[in-house]
Amino acid sequence: MTDGRRVPGAEARNGRFPGPSLVPALHAIQDRHGWLPREELVALSQDTHRPLYEIQGLVSFYPHFRTEPPPRVSLHVCHDLTCWLRGGDEQIATLRARYGDDADVELREVSCLGRCDTAPAAAVDEQPVQTGVAESLVESARAGQPQEQSRDASPRRWPNDPYGEGDERYQVLRGLLAGVVTPDDLVETLTRSGLRGMGGAGFPTGKKWALVAGQEAGPRYVVCNADESEPGTFKDRQILADQPHLVLEGLLLGMVVVGAEEGWVFSRHEYGPEADVLRAELARLRAEGLLGDDVLGSGRRLSVEVFVSPGGYILGEESALLECMEGHRGEPRNKPPFPGVHGLWGRPTLINSVETFADVPVIATRGARWWKDQGHGDSDGLKFFAVSGHVERPGVYCVPMGTTVRALLDLAGGVSDGRDLGAVQPGGASSNFLGPDGLDARLDFDALAEAGSMLGSGALVVMADGTDLLAAATNTLRFFRDESCGKCVPCRVGSTKAHTLLTTAMAGAGLDDAGRDQVLELERTLRKTSICGLGQVALGPVASVLGLRRGGTAARPQPRD
Amino acid sequence: MTATADASLPTRTVDVTIDGRPLTVPVGTTIWTAARDAGIDIPVLCHDERMDPVGVCRLCVVEVGGRAYAASCVRPCEDGMEVTTTSDEIERSRATLTELLVADQPAPEADPKQTTTGDNLLLGLAARYDVAAGDLPRGGGRGTDTSNPVIAVDHDACILCDRCVRACDDLQGNDVIGRSGKGYATRISFDLDDPMGASSCVTCGECVASCPTGALTNKPIREIPIRPRAELDAVDSVCPYCGVGCALTYYVDRERGAIAFADGRDQPGSQGRLCVKGRYGWDYAASPQRLTVPLIRRDESYPKGPLSADVRGDARSTDGQQGEGRKRRRPGGLVPYEEVLPHFREATWDEALDLVARRLREVHAERGPDGIAGFGSAKCSNEEAYLFQKLVRTAFTSNNVDHCTRLCHASSVAALFEGIGSGAVSTTYGDVANAEVALITGSNATANHPVASSFFKQARRNGTTLIYVDPRADKLADHADLYCQLKPGTDVAFYNSVMHEIIATGLVDEQYVAGRTSGYDALARTVADYPPERGEQITGVPAGLIRTVAKVWGEAAAGIIFWGMGISQHTTGTDNARCLIALCAITGNVGKPGAGLHPLRGQNNVQGASDSGLIPMFFPDYQSADDAEVVGRFEQAWGSRLPSKRGLTVTEIVHSILDGSPSGGPGVGAMYMMGENPFMSDPDTNMVRTALSALDFLVVQDIFVTETAEFADVILPATSYLEKDGTYTNTDRRVQCGRKALDPPGDAREDWWITQEIARRVGLDWAYESPREVFDEMVGLMPSYRNLDWDVLGSTGKLYPNDDPAHSDGTVVMFDERFNTGDGLAHLVAAEWLPAKELPDDDYPFVLNTGRLLEHWHTGSMTRRSFALDTIAPRAEVYVHPDDARDLGLVDGGMARVSSRRGEIELHVRVSTREARGNVFIPFHFREAAANLLTINEIDPVGKIPEFKFCAVRLVPRDNPSPTGASA
Repeated sequence: MTDGRRVPGAEARNGRFPGPSLVPALHAIQDRHGWLPREELVALSQDTHRPLYEIQGLVSFYPHFRTEPPPRVSLHVCHDLTCWLRGGDEQIATLRARYGDDADVELREVSCLGRCDTAPAAAVDEQPVQTGVAESLVESARAGQPQEQSRDASPRRWPNDPYGEGDERYQVLRGLLAGVVTPDDLVETLTRSGLRGMGGAGFPTGKKWALVAGQEAGPRYVVCNADESEPGTFKDRQILADQPHLVLEGLLLGMVVVGAEEGWVFSRHEYGPEADVLRAELARLRAEGLLGDDVLGSGRRLSVEVFVSPGGYILGEESALLECMEGHRGEPRNKPPFPGVHGLWGRPTLINSVETFADVPVIATRGARWWKDQGHGDSDGLKFFAVSGHVERPGVYCVPMGTTVRALLDLAGGVSDGRDLGAVQPGGASSNFLGPDGLDARLDFDALAEAGSMLGSGALVVMADGTDLLAAATNTLRFFRDESCGKCVPCRVGSTKAHTLLTTAMAGAGLDDAGRDQVLELERTLRKTSICGLGQVALGPVASVLGLRRGGTAARPQPRD
Repeated sequence: MTATADASLPTRTVDVTIDGRPLTVPVGTTIWTAARDAGIDIPVLCHDERMDPVGVCRLCVVEVGGRAYAASCVRPCEDGMEVTTTSDEIERSRATLTELLVADQPAPEADPKQTTTGDNLLLGLAARYDVAAGDLPRGGGRGTDTSNPVIAVDHDACILCDRCVRACDDLQGNDVIGRSGKGYATRISFDLDDPMGASSCVTCGECVASCPTGALTNKPIREIPIRPRAELDAVDSVCPYCGVGCALTYYVDRERGAIAFADGRDQPGSQGRLCVKGRYGWDYAASPQRLTVPLIRRDESYPKGPLSADVRGDARSTDGQQGEGRKRRRPGGLVPYEEVLPHFREATWDEALDLVARRLREVHAERGPDGIAGFGSAKCSNEEAYLFQKLVRTAFTSNNVDHCTRLCHASSVAALFEGIGSGAVSTTYGDVANAEVALITGSNATANHPVASSFFKQARRNGTTLIYVDPRADKLADHADLYCQLKPGTDVAFYNSVMHEIIATGLVDEQYVAGRTSGYDALARTVADYPPERGEQITGVPAGLIRTVAKVWGEAAAGIIFWGMGISQHTTGTDNARCLIALCAITGNVGKPGAGLHPLRGQNNVQGASDSGLIPMFFPDYQSADDAEVVGRFEQAWGSRLPSKRGLTVTEIVHSILDGSPSGGPGVGAMYMMGENPFMSDPDTNMVRTALSALDFLVVQDIFVTETAEFADVILPATSYLEKDGTYTNTDRRVQCGRKALDPPGDAREDWWITQEIARRVGLDWAYESPREVFDEMVGLMPSYRNLDWDVLGSTGKLYPNDDPAHSDGTVVMFDERFNTGDGLAHLVAAEWLPAKELPDDDYPFVLNTGRLLEHWHTGSMTRRSFALDTIAPRAEVYVHPDDARDLGLVDGGMARVSSRRGEIELHVRVSTREARGNVFIPFHFREAAANLLTINEIDPVGKIPEFKFCAVRLVPRDNPSPTGASA
């Protein structure tokens, strides 16, 4: 029996349905039938004494759930920015011509699949695939012989990994459990290192850990946010695939420091292969006694599980993520209270992103100074970037924090086909566009903010000269419109109205001054009044492009979560 | 009523500056509340103070120094916070938000709210910010839902403020409405996105009441248009249905002389909530079947007897075997006027009243005081109940006055008088908020006391543990932390077993038992024989669960018990209630907040009618009718000689008609029936039919021709509740004023006026000019009502006892120091479990339970004439467990024939997982399938209450009687 009202500011809906999440039960029904038959939902409601509307709210909110029988083959194609830049619309048109009327194949345009390095991206029966080869997979799936995708089996090594080939891993965790290092020491090291949250908000990591550790006694939880879903963003996917040991060690260190027994990796639905890698690593940890009821004789219980998202970008917003884990619609909470104080099931909860956790072991091993020295100039540490769009070698790069946009672009082989640069989004779909005059901007939290954009989700999206930037920005707006949870008015209605205004104008005579003013007024309202970052940034890229056209770098301040 | 835990803590405060004004507010106060209290208006759409805030409309955003604005409805004040509630930029944001919402709305001239009550909050804001649809691209096309008979849904007008969602679950606990879909495609939906009318919605209308736009609106009833409130007359009154006594306001269209709609009104108990009956069930008064002139039975219609085929009991003979002339009842199930009215002729009031007075006097002269009896009604006002009993007692020197309390809580009241010296509740239903544990037993409260049940559900949501003990797993079972599905008629064994465990585990409140009770040792000896294993054997409730109940109850700092007819309507009804009293007393759970005994009263004025003396053993305020001192006092007050012995009860009066007076003389020969319909409400209908036919004289005073009226010599047309003033006392002991909303039809007259006219004609010198005068006289004779007068009751009423009604709402928790018994102690009375009188056997293998539906009231004479209620629940059904249905060959929606040793009815089958196997349930509202043709005429020896909750029946499919079924 939760009484959310005892915590000032906690909303009514927060913890509204007492009892365990129904999401696992819904997954079980869907696993059994391939979809969710009504009779099963009614029976679930009766058996659990939970209202039907609660079930309807979940089933209709999460794209993973189906209320009708599945098609023989599902073909999902991404239509977001990077794929759009790489000819996605034409590919979709081709596939639609081929499968549009095919009763066996359900062709759906979906939001970013997180495979922007192989854009345009698709998924056949949830298996990620390049759109170009989708047809052959569809045909083999139709024939009942799904093709196994070959995976790069050898993980790449990255400079944030303190462990060499053959080294014993999890040494920091062992040291912490054995008392060689104290939690306070570790927090102190993190604080001095200047490590900030790599999910985009940049909150100082040491401070966050100390805050959660300092909450009043009682259960607390730790969650690794592995739900990066913003167009152009796939660096965490690479880290999960290559460094599951660092992600999990960071997570476990966080659990020991804040005193949590239970932790989760909240993994986006589309990262099935990466979740498998994590599960294999967790099995190894259990076998080694690093997970269990009495870890290495420390008397400490540590349990970590992978929680697979039922789908939706909004769940990357940490309070929406918590709502989802509690079994509710993934609608962000009004804040404060923040999760560090009032998180999962109303308990203090430490949430960091994949990259943040993965950086902790090396900092603990080599020290705060070492980490600070990795950055360029005043910047601290290393930074992973996903580079995609009009670029020669799209992929994930780990560079010193403070590297310039130009240097990263060069590392990735420059603008594809030797074209000139039109613009970049340095921090994913929510970041303001920077024109060619922004190439010398340094990739760091404060430097990018000064330059009129943000570090965001660590995704550099490159657009060659000649790209219709307003159309590109409108593409990102569509993403935010599609991914809006619908909870608050400005985001739900504003993103829709603005998108209609823009697409109508672009299909006709273009955006006139009155239309421009309307869009800018909507941008201001969304930025100032939306509950969460999604709504606050939804119109930002559009506004920044409208500003670029007038000669400024940006039309608005870049909000930061 | 504040929680005791909070009261003892000093309130911490924070200092905040709002619009330059320094304020100090308690920790946790939202910015919006702090601003409002300081006189600063911040616009809202999604916020409603009765609900927890959600902060979704964003209209209330304010500047607090962050990068984005904060929603003031949900953001708490913080120390040192500087808040700006208005600026050009903030107002621009509000204007833009309003514009966004208006863009998809129906045009104002087509808006469902603006064209009815005219109070669309969003359109109000649009005017304030001077925005209109048209500037932004129009969306919408989300559709409408008109599947509910009285509520219309327009999804385009919906702004997803979640008020209806919270009204439905946080306030009413019905849990039907939620958000469906995501993003711009999000809609409110019912259950699994079902049409509202097909969903589990119970049509309480709380969603409509809370909706700020035209998304949820009331539909007109009986084609009375819903007009802006300002054009209608607002009459503050009280709901006429159940004992919860919710405060409401009727909006009366004077041009049309009709009610247009009703709204809940704030009052400390009901807090503005209503259920489907209160909000939508008032149109019975506008029925064309209302009686409008006095009627006298035609000479040729003697000898008396039932007039309609149904009441004769010959309409139900098997089809096809009785020839063509046999008429099957049409659907609808009301008294067929065309069969009954030809037997009566219209008369003037003078002729009718003179005839009544003459015949009553004649029978009184022939048979003496024992020959006269009166049934008053718990639907009439306190004043009418008082005058009715005063008439019978003073004019005929008879205490033969009773009413349907006999059929509901008589056994509870008997046990309560014996145990704590008072029949009224020891605390209010709202006090459940302070309880650590609430035990609800023998009560389908979501149907019978819907608004009270909303407080139980809400308390549970806020941390109160809910224990539900009932043979039927009705909706409260879904909300209970612990649910015990005991076998019918095993309550004593269950509670003895719980008490056994409480004693065995040392959870008895020794100090309370020693200081405030007597009889503990005998109780302990009795319950010693009921270890949980034996409890399980008798009740079917697992011993482990019995132990858990004992532990949870015994360890709670405050426990409260609510009960209903499932406790009282048994031959062991008094014993059942004794057990509940003992359970509370041995754990110290009477006389403190969040603890106590609350028998949930059925009728809107069953508490008041009993208080007013409408019972054979008590004068007003429970002053004993066989106590010479009391008799003397009332003889002096009333200036009349009074009887010195108790009168007969409802059930005894029926026996007396047939068998003569219990004292040996002639039995009851003439009856005055004010608003009662014993033909339908009393057990063993066949016996009642014989008795009513045998009366020398019967006058029925009612608003419709009832089944009982078919036996009448004279029928007097009374006013409905809506057409008169009066006070009514609810289950909480709250005395409230019901106010006249409509003019009576034709020549119908107030009940109190009619009673007074009869009194004058039998020689009494009454000259009351208004109910107010009657109330003043009553209060003078009723110590419990002291200090009350009509004016002080105001619009929200007062609880009694009340030492300072000008300033206090009255006493919530009674007996905090002593009980009302002679020695001030609670008298614990041990009870041994006894089986019900008619156990199932091979011939009649099922246990029949009877009760009520949410939508209907008692014999249906009001609710079956209500458009909403009759549309939602139009027919009689027998509820059968799916496995039993399968074994019997019964299908959902098919017809079954249900028979007992006393009668047989046919009705539809409802397959229901809420029944236990071997048990069936039939609501008793439906005369075409009257459950009381089946019930047994066995009564509780103390409370004289019939065993409506238990008799043996058999079922067969009607259309395809199974040879393998139980029928021979």
